[in-house]
Amino acid sequence: MRSPVPVADAHGHIGTHPDFPVYFAEPEQMIEVMDLLNIEKLAVTSLLACYNDCPRGNEGIAAVLSRYPERFWAYVTVNPSPPGQGLAELEKWAHFHSPPLIKFHPALHKYPVTGRHYRPLWDYANQTAAVVLVHTWDSDPNCGPLLFPPIAREFPNARILLGHAGVTWRGYMQSIEAAQSAPNLYLELAGSQHHRLILEQAVEALGPERIIFGSDMPFLEAAMTLGHVLTAQVQDSAKERILRTNFLQLIDEI
Amino acid sequence: MSGLPPEPLLSEAAEWDIFDVNIRLGPSGPHGELALDTPCLLQEMDRFYIRQGIASHWTAEEYDALAGNDALARDLHPRLTPAWAALPDGRSLENLKTRQPSVVRITPGVYQHNFSSASWCAGALFEYLQESSAVVLISRNDMEWPAIDSLAHNFPHLAIVLLDIGYRADRHVFPLLERHPMLHFDSATYLAHRQLEAYVEKHGPDRVLFGSRLPLYTPASSIAVLATARISDSSRCAIAGSNLRRLLAKSQAVRCA
Repeated sequence: MRSPVPVADAHGHIGTHPDFPVYFAEPEQMIEVMDLLNIEKLAVTSLLACYNDCPRGNEGIAAVLSRYPERFWAYVTVNPSPPGQGLAELEKWAHFHSPPLIKFHPALHKYPVTGRHYRPLWDYANQTAAVVLVHTWDSDPNCGPLLFPPIAREFPNARILLGHAGVTWRGYMQSIEAAQSAPNLYLELAGSQHHRLILEQAVEALGPERIIFGSDMPFLEAAMTLGHVLTAQVQDSAKERILRTNFLQLIDEI
Repeated sequence: MSGLPPEPLLSEAAEWDIFDVNIRLGPSGPHGELALDTPCLLQEMDRFYIRQGIASHWTAEEYDALAGNDALARDLHPRLTPAWAALPDGRSLENLKTRQPSVVRITPGVYQHNFSSASWCAGALFEYLQESSAVVLISRNDMEWPAIDSLAHNFPHLAIVLLDIGYRADRHVFPLLERHPMLHFDSATYLAHRQLEAYVEKHGPDRVLFGSRLPLYTPASSIAVLATARISDSSRCAIAGSNLRRLLAKSQAVRCA
Protein backbone atom coordinates (compact mmCIF):
# COMPACT_ATOMS: atom_id res chain seq x y z
CA MET A 1 0.00 0.00 0.00
CA ARG A 2 1.28 3.39 -1.00
CA SER A 3 -0.53 6.69 -1.07
CA PRO A 4 -1.41 7.78 -4.61
CA VAL A 5 -1.24 11.36 -3.31
CA PRO A 6 2.11 12.76 -2.10
CA VAL A 7 1.34 13.34 1.54
CA ALA A 8 2.00 16.51 3.55
CA ASP A 9 2.16 15.15 7.07
CA ALA A 10 1.35 17.61 9.87
CA HIS A 11 2.40 15.58 12.90
CA GLY A 12 5.75 13.92 13.47
CA HIS A 13 8.58 13.89 15.95
CA ILE A 14 12.29 13.55 16.31
CA GLY A 15 13.53 11.64 19.33
CA THR A 16 12.57 8.84 21.69
CA HIS A 17 10.19 8.36 24.61
CA PRO A 18 10.48 6.96 28.11
CA ASP A 19 7.85 4.26 28.23
CA PHE A 20 8.53 2.04 25.24
CA PRO A 21 11.37 1.38 22.82
CA VAL A 22 11.68 3.19 19.51
CA TYR A 23 12.53 1.41 16.29
CA PHE A 24 13.99 2.85 13.08
CA ALA A 25 13.61 6.39 14.46
CA GLU A 26 16.68 8.16 13.08
CA PRO A 27 15.73 10.85 10.56
CA GLU A 28 17.29 8.82 7.73
CA GLN A 29 15.24 5.76 8.72
CA MET A 30 12.09 7.85 8.92
CA ILE A 31 12.76 9.15 5.43
CA GLU A 32 12.97 5.54 4.19
CA VAL A 33 9.49 4.91 5.59
CA MET A 34 8.21 8.20 4.17
CA ASP A 35 9.44 7.13 0.73
CA LEU A 36 7.77 3.74 1.14
CA LEU A 37 4.40 5.35 1.91
CA ASN A 38 4.76 8.44 -0.32
CA ILE A 39 4.94 10.96 2.51
CA GLU A 40 6.63 13.87 0.79
CA LYS A 41 7.31 16.01 3.83
CA LEU A 42 6.75 15.75 7.56
CA ALA A 43 6.33 18.49 10.17
CA VAL A 44 8.26 17.47 13.26
CA THR A 45 8.46 18.49 16.89
CA SER A 46 11.09 17.47 19.40
CA LEU A 47 10.16 14.67 21.78
CA LEU A 48 12.86 15.87 24.14
CA ALA A 49 11.00 19.18 24.23
CA CYS A 50 7.63 17.52 24.68
CA TYR A 51 8.85 15.46 27.61
CA ASN A 52 11.61 17.40 29.28
CA ASP A 53 13.72 20.21 27.81
CA CYS A 54 12.42 22.66 25.19
CA PRO A 55 15.62 24.65 24.53
CA ARG A 56 17.74 21.55 23.90
CA GLY A 57 14.92 19.88 22.03
CA ASN A 58 14.38 22.77 19.65
CA GLU A 59 18.12 22.91 19.08
CA GLY A 60 18.03 19.29 17.98
CA ILE A 61 15.18 20.04 15.61
CA ALA A 62 17.19 22.90 14.10
CA ALA A 63 19.97 20.44 13.31
CA VAL A 64 17.60 18.04 11.57
CA LEU A 65 16.00 20.87 9.63
CA SER A 66 19.36 22.06 8.38
CA ARG A 67 20.22 18.54 7.16
CA TYR A 68 16.90 17.71 5.49
CA PRO A 69 15.04 20.93 4.64
CA GLU A 70 13.27 19.23 1.74
CA ARG A 71 11.79 16.45 3.90
CA PHE A 72 10.94 18.10 7.21
CA TRP A 73 9.17 21.18 8.45
CA ALA A 74 9.80 22.13 12.06
CA TYR A 75 7.54 23.15 14.90
CA VAL A 76 8.96 25.17 17.77
CA THR A 77 7.86 23.29 20.88
CA VAL A 78 7.15 25.49 23.87
CA ASN A 79 6.34 24.90 27.50
CA PRO A 80 4.42 27.50 29.56
CA SER A 81 6.80 26.71 32.40
CA PRO A 82 9.00 28.46 33.29
CA PRO A 83 7.12 31.61 32.26
CA GLY A 84 8.98 33.59 29.64
CA GLN A 85 10.95 30.68 28.22
CA GLY A 86 8.32 29.92 25.59
CA LEU A 87 8.35 33.37 24.01
CA ALA A 88 12.15 33.39 23.98
CA GLU A 89 12.14 30.04 22.18
CA LEU A 90 9.59 31.25 19.63
CA GLU A 91 11.73 34.29 18.87
CA LYS A 92 14.98 32.33 18.79
CA TRP A 93 13.68 29.80 16.28
CA ALA A 94 11.45 32.12 14.27
CA HIS A 95 13.36 31.13 11.14
CA PHE A 96 12.01 27.56 11.30
CA HIS A 97 8.99 28.54 9.23
CA SER A 98 6.80 31.43 8.26
CA PRO A 99 4.04 31.43 9.38
CA PRO A 100 5.35 29.96 12.63
CA LEU A 101 4.63 26.33 13.42
CA ILE A 102 4.19 25.94 17.17
CA LYS A 103 3.66 22.83 19.28
CA PHE A 104 1.97 22.76 22.69
CA HIS A 105 1.75 19.59 24.76
CA PRO A 106 -0.42 20.48 27.77
CA ALA A 107 -0.70 16.83 28.85
CA LEU A 108 3.02 16.20 29.20
CA HIS A 109 3.73 19.72 30.43
CA LYS A 110 0.89 19.24 32.92
CA TYR A 111 -0.58 22.67 32.50
CA PRO A 112 -4.04 23.54 31.18
CA VAL A 113 -4.18 25.06 27.75
CA THR A 114 -6.51 27.68 29.18
CA GLY A 115 -4.03 28.63 31.93
CA ARG A 116 -2.57 32.11 32.23
CA HIS A 117 0.98 31.09 31.38
CA TYR A 118 -0.20 30.02 27.93
CA ARG A 119 -1.74 33.43 27.22
CA PRO A 120 1.42 35.19 25.95
CA LEU A 121 2.03 32.20 23.69
CA TRP A 122 -1.49 32.32 22.29
CA ASP A 123 -1.07 36.05 21.83
CA TYR A 124 2.14 35.47 19.84
CA ALA A 125 0.35 32.86 17.73
CA ASN A 126 -2.48 35.29 17.10
CA GLN A 127 -0.16 38.12 16.08
CA THR A 128 1.85 35.92 13.72
CA ALA A 129 -1.06 33.86 12.33
CA ALA A 130 0.80 30.79 13.51
CA VAL A 131 -0.25 27.19 13.03
CA VAL A 132 -0.42 25.68 16.51
CA LEU A 133 -0.49 21.90 16.90
CA VAL A 134 -1.84 21.04 20.36
CA HIS A 135 -1.98 17.56 21.80
CA THR A 136 -5.58 16.77 22.75
CA TRP A 137 -7.29 13.89 24.51
CA ASP A 138 -10.91 13.04 25.22
CA SER A 139 -12.12 15.16 28.19
CA ASP A 140 -8.58 15.77 29.48
CA PRO A 141 -8.63 18.66 32.00
CA ASN A 142 -5.47 20.08 30.44
CA CYS A 143 -6.26 19.57 26.77
CA GLY A 144 -9.77 18.21 26.17
CA PRO A 145 -11.14 19.41 22.82
CA LEU A 146 -14.00 21.32 24.39
CA LEU A 147 -11.53 23.68 26.08
CA PHE A 148 -10.59 25.14 22.70
CA PRO A 149 -13.56 27.13 21.32
CA PRO A 150 -13.10 30.09 23.72
CA ILE A 151 -9.37 30.17 22.94
CA ALA A 152 -10.03 30.01 19.21
CA ARG A 153 -12.52 32.87 19.43
CA GLU A 154 -10.21 35.02 21.53
CA PHE A 155 -7.22 34.44 19.22
CA PRO A 156 -8.89 34.21 15.81
CA ASN A 157 -5.73 34.55 13.71
CA ALA A 158 -4.13 31.49 15.25
CA ARG A 159 -4.87 28.32 13.29
CA ILE A 160 -5.22 25.57 15.89
CA LEU A 161 -4.78 21.90 15.03
CA LEU A 162 -6.51 19.66 17.57
CA GLY A 163 -3.77 17.03 17.64
CA HIS A 164 -5.14 13.46 17.53
CA ALA A 165 -8.63 15.00 17.35
CA GLY A 166 -9.23 13.84 20.90
CA VAL A 167 -8.17 10.23 20.09
CA THR A 168 -11.23 8.26 21.24
CA TRP A 169 -14.68 8.10 19.67
CA ARG A 170 -15.94 10.55 22.28
CA GLY A 171 -12.83 12.68 21.83
CA TYR A 172 -13.58 12.93 18.12
CA MET A 173 -17.16 13.93 18.86
CA GLN A 174 -15.85 16.64 21.18
CA SER A 175 -13.39 17.80 18.52
CA ILE A 176 -16.11 17.98 15.89
CA GLU A 177 -18.32 19.94 18.26
CA ALA A 178 -15.46 22.32 19.05
CA ALA A 179 -14.58 22.84 15.39
CA GLN A 180 -18.19 23.54 14.51
CA SER A 181 -18.11 26.49 16.88
CA ALA A 182 -14.86 28.13 15.69
CA PRO A 183 -13.57 28.33 12.11
CA ASN A 184 -9.90 28.35 13.12
CA LEU A 185 -10.05 24.90 14.74
CA TYR A 186 -8.90 21.89 12.70
CA LEU A 187 -8.92 18.15 13.32
CA GLU A 188 -5.55 16.40 13.01
CA LEU A 189 -5.87 12.65 12.55
CA ALA A 190 -2.80 10.98 14.09
CA GLY A 191 -3.85 8.49 16.73
CA SER A 192 -3.87 4.95 17.96
CA GLN A 193 -7.64 4.37 17.81
CA HIS A 194 -9.00 4.26 14.29
CA HIS A 195 -12.69 3.84 14.80
CA ARG A 196 -14.75 2.72 11.87
CA LEU A 197 -16.96 5.49 10.40
CA ILE A 198 -15.38 8.30 12.45
CA LEU A 199 -13.66 9.98 9.53
CA GLU A 200 -16.81 9.84 7.44
CA GLN A 201 -18.73 11.49 10.27
CA ALA A 202 -16.09 14.21 10.64
CA VAL A 203 -16.18 14.99 6.93
CA GLU A 204 -19.95 15.06 6.94
CA ALA A 205 -20.03 17.42 9.92
CA LEU A 206 -17.21 19.78 8.94
CA GLY A 207 -16.48 19.23 5.28
CA PRO A 208 -12.99 18.03 4.32
CA GLU A 209 -11.33 21.47 4.51
CA ARG A 210 -10.54 21.39 8.21
CA ILE A 211 -9.31 17.81 8.50
CA ILE A 212 -5.58 17.26 8.27
CA PHE A 213 -3.47 14.13 8.02
CA GLY A 214 -0.87 13.45 10.67
CA SER A 215 1.06 10.24 11.29
CA ASP A 216 2.77 10.80 14.66
CA MET A 217 5.86 9.13 13.22
CA PRO A 218 8.05 7.72 14.81
CA PHE A 219 5.72 7.38 17.76
CA LEU A 220 2.95 5.65 15.82
CA GLU A 221 2.93 3.70 12.58
CA ALA A 222 2.15 6.07 9.71
CA ALA A 223 0.60 3.32 7.59
CA MET A 224 -2.16 2.95 10.17
CA THR A 225 -3.64 6.43 9.70
CA LEU A 226 -2.83 6.42 6.00
CA GLY A 227 -4.76 3.18 5.50
CA HIS A 228 -7.71 4.64 7.37
CA VAL A 229 -7.85 7.78 5.24
CA LEU A 230 -7.27 6.00 1.93
CA THR A 231 -10.14 3.55 2.54
CA ALA A 232 -12.60 6.02 4.09
CA GLN A 233 -15.90 6.35 2.28
CA VAL A 234 -15.38 9.95 1.25
CA GLN A 235 -14.68 11.41 -2.16
CA ASP A 236 -11.19 11.18 -3.63
CA SER A 237 -11.05 14.97 -3.72
CA ALA A 238 -11.66 15.02 0.03
CA LYS A 239 -8.87 12.50 0.59
CA GLU A 240 -6.47 14.65 -1.41
CA ARG A 241 -7.40 17.65 0.67
CA ILE A 242 -6.90 15.72 3.92
CA LEU A 243 -3.64 14.10 2.88
CA ARG A 244 -2.03 17.10 1.28
CA THR A 245 -3.76 20.29 0.24
CA ASN A 246 -5.24 21.44 3.53
CA PHE A 247 -1.96 21.51 5.40
CA LEU A 248 -0.01 23.04 2.52
CA GLN A 249 -2.58 25.84 2.29
CA LEU A 250 -2.50 26.35 6.02
CA ILE A 251 1.27 26.86 6.06
CA ASP A 252 1.25 29.00 2.90
CA GLU A 253 3.15 26.49 0.77
CA ILE A 254 0.64 26.52 -2.10
CA MET B 1 -21.38 1.35 4.76
CA SER B 2 -22.31 -2.30 4.04
CA GLY B 3 -21.95 -4.12 0.78
CA LEU B 4 -19.05 -2.04 -0.50
CA PRO B 5 -16.61 -3.59 -2.97
CA PRO B 6 -13.20 -4.81 -1.80
CA GLU B 7 -10.69 -2.04 -1.18
CA PRO B 8 -8.41 -1.84 -4.23
CA LEU B 9 -5.57 -0.16 -2.36
CA LEU B 10 -5.32 -3.16 -0.04
CA SER B 11 -5.85 -5.82 -2.69
CA GLU B 12 -2.60 -7.60 -1.84
CA ALA B 13 -4.38 -8.77 1.32
CA ALA B 14 -6.53 -11.03 -0.86
CA GLU B 15 -3.55 -13.37 -1.09
CA TRP B 16 -2.93 -13.66 2.64
CA ASP B 17 -5.97 -15.78 3.62
CA ILE B 18 -6.68 -13.56 6.61
CA PHE B 19 -8.09 -15.15 9.76
CA ASP B 20 -8.95 -12.37 12.22
CA VAL B 21 -8.61 -13.29 15.90
CA ASN B 22 -10.27 -10.19 17.32
CA ILE B 23 -13.88 -9.67 16.26
CA ARG B 24 -17.02 -8.99 18.25
CA LEU B 25 -20.57 -9.59 17.14
CA GLY B 26 -24.03 -8.38 18.04
CA PRO B 27 -25.45 -5.33 19.79
CA SER B 28 -23.47 -3.22 22.21
CA GLY B 29 -24.55 -0.87 24.96
CA PRO B 30 -21.59 1.54 24.86
CA HIS B 31 -20.72 1.06 21.18
CA GLY B 32 -24.14 1.04 19.57
CA GLU B 33 -23.10 3.21 16.62
CA LEU B 34 -20.50 0.70 15.57
CA ALA B 35 -22.02 -2.69 16.41
CA LEU B 36 -22.76 -5.01 13.49
CA ASP B 37 -25.07 -7.97 13.02
CA THR B 38 -23.74 -11.02 11.21
CA PRO B 39 -24.64 -10.07 7.61
CA CYS B 40 -23.15 -6.58 7.95
CA LEU B 41 -20.06 -7.94 9.69
CA LEU B 42 -19.48 -10.40 6.84
CA GLN B 43 -19.81 -7.59 4.31
CA GLU B 44 -17.22 -5.55 6.18
CA MET B 45 -14.92 -8.59 6.30
CA ASP B 46 -15.34 -9.02 2.54
CA ARG B 47 -14.44 -5.39 1.96
CA PHE B 48 -11.10 -5.94 3.72
CA TYR B 49 -10.31 -9.46 2.46
CA ILE B 50 -10.87 -11.08 5.85
CA ARG B 51 -11.87 -14.65 5.02
CA GLN B 52 -12.50 -15.95 8.52
CA GLY B 53 -12.71 -14.60 12.00
CA ILE B 54 -12.99 -15.57 15.62
CA ALA B 55 -16.00 -13.79 17.05
CA SER B 56 -17.17 -13.26 20.57
CA HIS B 57 -20.56 -11.79 21.39
CA TRP B 58 -20.99 -8.44 23.04
CA THR B 59 -24.04 -9.68 24.90
CA ALA B 60 -21.77 -12.13 26.73
CA GLU B 61 -19.18 -9.49 27.50
CA GLU B 62 -21.51 -6.68 28.52
CA TYR B 63 -24.47 -8.55 30.02
CA ASP B 64 -24.52 -12.28 30.77
CA ALA B 65 -22.13 -15.03 29.72
CA LEU B 66 -24.72 -17.75 29.21
CA ALA B 67 -27.20 -15.49 27.43
CA GLY B 68 -24.33 -14.22 25.31
CA ASN B 69 -23.31 -17.75 24.37
CA ASP B 70 -26.88 -18.50 23.30
CA ALA B 71 -26.84 -15.32 21.19
CA LEU B 72 -23.50 -16.31 19.69
CA ALA B 73 -24.82 -19.76 18.76
CA ARG B 74 -27.81 -18.09 17.13
CA ASP B 75 -25.79 -15.48 15.19
CA LEU B 76 -22.93 -17.68 13.98
CA HIS B 77 -21.88 -18.19 10.37
CA PRO B 78 -19.50 -20.79 8.93
CA ARG B 79 -16.86 -18.10 8.41
CA LEU B 80 -16.94 -17.25 12.11
CA THR B 81 -15.37 -19.45 14.77
CA PRO B 82 -17.13 -18.86 18.09
CA ALA B 83 -15.19 -17.52 21.05
CA TRP B 84 -17.43 -18.66 23.88
CA ALA B 85 -17.66 -16.77 27.13
CA ALA B 86 -16.40 -18.75 30.12
CA LEU B 87 -16.99 -18.40 33.85
CA PRO B 88 -15.22 -20.29 36.63
CA ASP B 89 -18.20 -21.75 38.55
CA GLY B 90 -19.20 -25.39 38.13
CA ARG B 91 -22.55 -24.85 36.48
CA SER B 92 -21.12 -22.45 33.89
CA LEU B 93 -18.25 -24.82 33.22
CA GLU B 94 -20.63 -27.73 32.59
CA ASN B 95 -22.58 -25.49 30.22
CA LEU B 96 -19.37 -24.50 28.44
CA LYS B 97 -18.41 -28.15 27.95
CA THR B 98 -21.60 -28.74 25.96
CA ARG B 99 -20.28 -26.20 23.43
CA GLN B 100 -17.08 -28.24 22.89
CA PRO B 101 -15.16 -25.00 22.67
CA SER B 102 -12.12 -24.59 20.48
CA VAL B 103 -11.88 -20.93 21.52
CA VAL B 104 -13.04 -19.03 24.60
CA ARG B 105 -12.78 -15.36 25.40
CA ILE B 106 -12.56 -14.65 29.09
CA THR B 107 -13.39 -11.21 30.48
CA PRO B 108 -12.49 -11.39 34.18
CA GLY B 109 -12.32 -7.62 34.73
CA VAL B 110 -14.10 -6.12 37.71
CA TYR B 111 -16.69 -4.39 35.52
CA GLN B 112 -17.24 -7.46 33.37
CA HIS B 113 -17.40 -11.03 34.69
CA ASN B 114 -15.45 -10.10 37.80
CA PHE B 115 -13.46 -13.18 38.78
CA SER B 116 -9.87 -14.02 39.52
CA SER B 117 -7.81 -16.02 37.07
CA ALA B 118 -5.91 -17.55 39.99
CA SER B 119 -6.19 -21.30 40.50
CA TRP B 120 -8.12 -20.95 43.78
CA CYS B 121 -10.90 -19.31 41.76
CA ALA B 122 -10.68 -20.49 38.13
CA GLY B 123 -8.37 -23.50 38.35
CA ALA B 124 -10.98 -26.02 37.17
CA LEU B 125 -11.87 -23.85 34.19
CA PHE B 126 -8.30 -23.45 33.00
CA GLU B 127 -7.54 -27.13 33.68
CA TYR B 128 -10.39 -28.07 31.36
CA LEU B 129 -9.34 -25.57 28.71
CA GLN B 130 -5.77 -26.78 28.80
CA GLU B 131 -6.79 -30.45 28.54
CA SER B 132 -9.04 -29.73 25.59
CA SER B 133 -6.40 -27.54 23.86
CA ALA B 134 -8.84 -24.66 23.62
CA VAL B 135 -7.41 -21.30 22.64
CA VAL B 136 -8.00 -18.65 25.33
CA LEU B 137 -8.43 -15.03 24.31
CA ILE B 138 -7.82 -12.40 26.98
CA SER B 139 -7.84 -8.66 26.44
CA ARG B 140 -4.91 -7.02 28.17
CA ASN B 141 -7.41 -4.48 29.47
CA ASP B 142 -8.98 -7.28 31.55
CA MET B 143 -5.87 -8.70 33.23
CA GLU B 144 -2.69 -7.27 34.72
CA TRP B 145 0.73 -8.51 33.68
CA PRO B 146 1.48 -10.46 36.90
CA ALA B 147 -1.83 -12.33 36.58
CA ILE B 148 -1.04 -13.18 32.95
CA ASP B 149 2.35 -14.48 34.02
CA SER B 150 0.82 -16.60 36.77
CA LEU B 151 -1.82 -18.05 34.48
CA ALA B 152 0.71 -18.98 31.82
CA HIS B 153 3.00 -20.44 34.50
CA ASN B 154 0.28 -22.53 36.14
CA PHE B 155 -1.05 -23.83 32.81
CA PRO B 156 2.01 -24.09 30.58
CA HIS B 157 0.23 -25.96 27.76
CA LEU B 158 -2.66 -23.52 27.57
CA ALA B 159 -2.68 -21.53 24.31
CA ILE B 160 -3.24 -17.92 25.36
CA VAL B 161 -3.76 -15.04 22.94
CA LEU B 162 -3.45 -11.60 24.49
CA LEU B 163 -5.66 -9.13 22.67
CA ASP B 164 -5.29 -5.36 22.62
CA ILE B 165 -1.84 -5.26 24.20
CA GLY B 166 -1.31 -1.74 22.88
CA TYR B 167 1.91 -0.37 21.47
CA ARG B 168 3.66 0.60 24.70
CA ALA B 169 4.05 -2.85 26.26
CA ASP B 170 7.17 -4.37 24.69
CA ARG B 171 9.06 -4.28 27.98
CA HIS B 172 6.34 -6.49 29.49
CA VAL B 173 5.53 -8.61 26.46
CA PHE B 174 9.01 -9.69 25.40
CA PRO B 175 10.01 -11.27 28.74
CA LEU B 176 6.61 -12.95 29.03
CA LEU B 177 6.89 -14.43 25.54
CA GLU B 178 10.31 -15.73 26.46
CA ARG B 179 9.01 -17.35 29.65
CA HIS B 180 5.86 -18.83 28.14
CA PRO B 181 6.04 -20.56 24.74
CA MET B 182 2.22 -20.85 24.44
CA LEU B 183 1.66 -17.12 24.83
CA HIS B 184 0.67 -15.15 21.71
CA PHE B 185 -0.66 -11.67 20.99
CA ASP B 186 -2.79 -9.97 18.38
CA SER B 187 -1.75 -7.17 16.06
CA ALA B 188 -4.80 -4.89 16.33
CA THR B 189 -3.18 -2.37 18.65
CA TYR B 190 0.48 -3.24 18.07
CA LEU B 191 0.90 -0.08 16.07
CA ALA B 192 3.97 1.90 17.03
CA HIS B 193 6.29 3.05 14.27
CA ARG B 194 7.81 0.00 12.56
CA GLN B 195 7.12 -2.01 15.71
CA LEU B 196 5.78 -5.06 13.93
CA GLU B 197 8.74 -5.44 11.61
CA ALA B 198 11.17 -4.82 14.46
CA TYR B 199 9.44 -7.56 16.45
CA VAL B 200 9.50 -10.05 13.56
CA GLU B 201 13.12 -9.27 12.81
CA LYS B 202 14.10 -10.11 16.38
CA HIS B 203 11.61 -12.80 17.41
CA GLY B 204 10.15 -14.24 14.21
CA PRO B 205 6.48 -14.15 13.16
CA ASP B 206 5.05 -17.19 14.98
CA ARG B 207 3.54 -15.57 18.06
CA VAL B 208 1.68 -12.69 16.39
CA LEU B 209 -1.89 -13.17 15.15
CA PHE B 210 -3.72 -10.71 12.94
CA GLY B 211 -6.50 -8.83 14.75
CA SER B 212 -8.70 -5.96 13.62
CA ARG B 213 -11.01 -5.15 16.56
CA LEU B 214 -13.92 -5.16 14.17
CA PRO B 215 -16.46 -3.62 14.39
CA LEU B 216 -14.92 -0.94 16.64
CA TYR B 217 -11.91 -0.16 14.47
CA THR B 218 -11.52 -0.12 10.73
CA PRO B 219 -9.52 -3.16 9.60
CA ALA B 220 -7.80 -0.82 7.13
CA SER B 221 -5.35 0.29 9.80
CA SER B 222 -4.05 -3.11 10.91
CA ILE B 223 -4.03 -4.42 7.33
CA ALA B 224 -2.09 -1.36 6.16
CA VAL B 225 0.47 -1.91 8.91
CA LEU B 226 0.89 -5.57 7.93
CA ALA B 227 0.99 -4.69 4.22
CA THR B 228 3.77 -2.15 4.61
CA ALA B 229 5.90 -3.98 7.19
CA ARG B 230 9.26 -4.84 5.70
CA ILE B 231 9.03 -8.57 6.44
CA SER B 232 9.01 -11.64 4.22
CA ASP B 233 5.82 -12.74 2.49
CA SER B 234 5.87 -15.97 4.47
CA SER B 235 6.01 -13.99 7.73
CA ARG B 236 3.14 -11.82 6.53
CA CYS B 237 0.97 -14.84 5.75
CA ALA B 238 1.87 -16.46 9.07
CA ILE B 239 0.65 -13.41 10.94
CA ALA B 240 -2.37 -12.94 8.69
CA GLY B 241 -3.77 -16.39 9.29
CA SER B 242 -1.58 -19.47 9.38
CA ASN B 243 -0.41 -18.99 12.97
CA LEU B 244 -4.01 -19.00 14.17
CA ARG B 245 -4.95 -21.93 11.96
CA ARG B 246 -2.07 -23.89 13.46
CA LEU B 247 -3.37 -23.26 16.99
CA LEU B 248 -6.91 -24.20 16.03
CA ALA B 249 -5.80 -27.37 14.23
CA LYS B 250 -4.26 -28.60 17.45
CA SER B 251 -7.45 -27.91 19.31
CA GLN B 252 -9.46 -29.66 16.63
CA ALA B 253 -7.19 -32.72 16.78
CA VAL B 254 -7.64 -33.02 20.55
CA ARG B 255 -11.40 -32.73 20.29
CA CYS B 256 -11.56 -35.35 17.55
CA ALA B 257 -9.44 -37.71 19.62
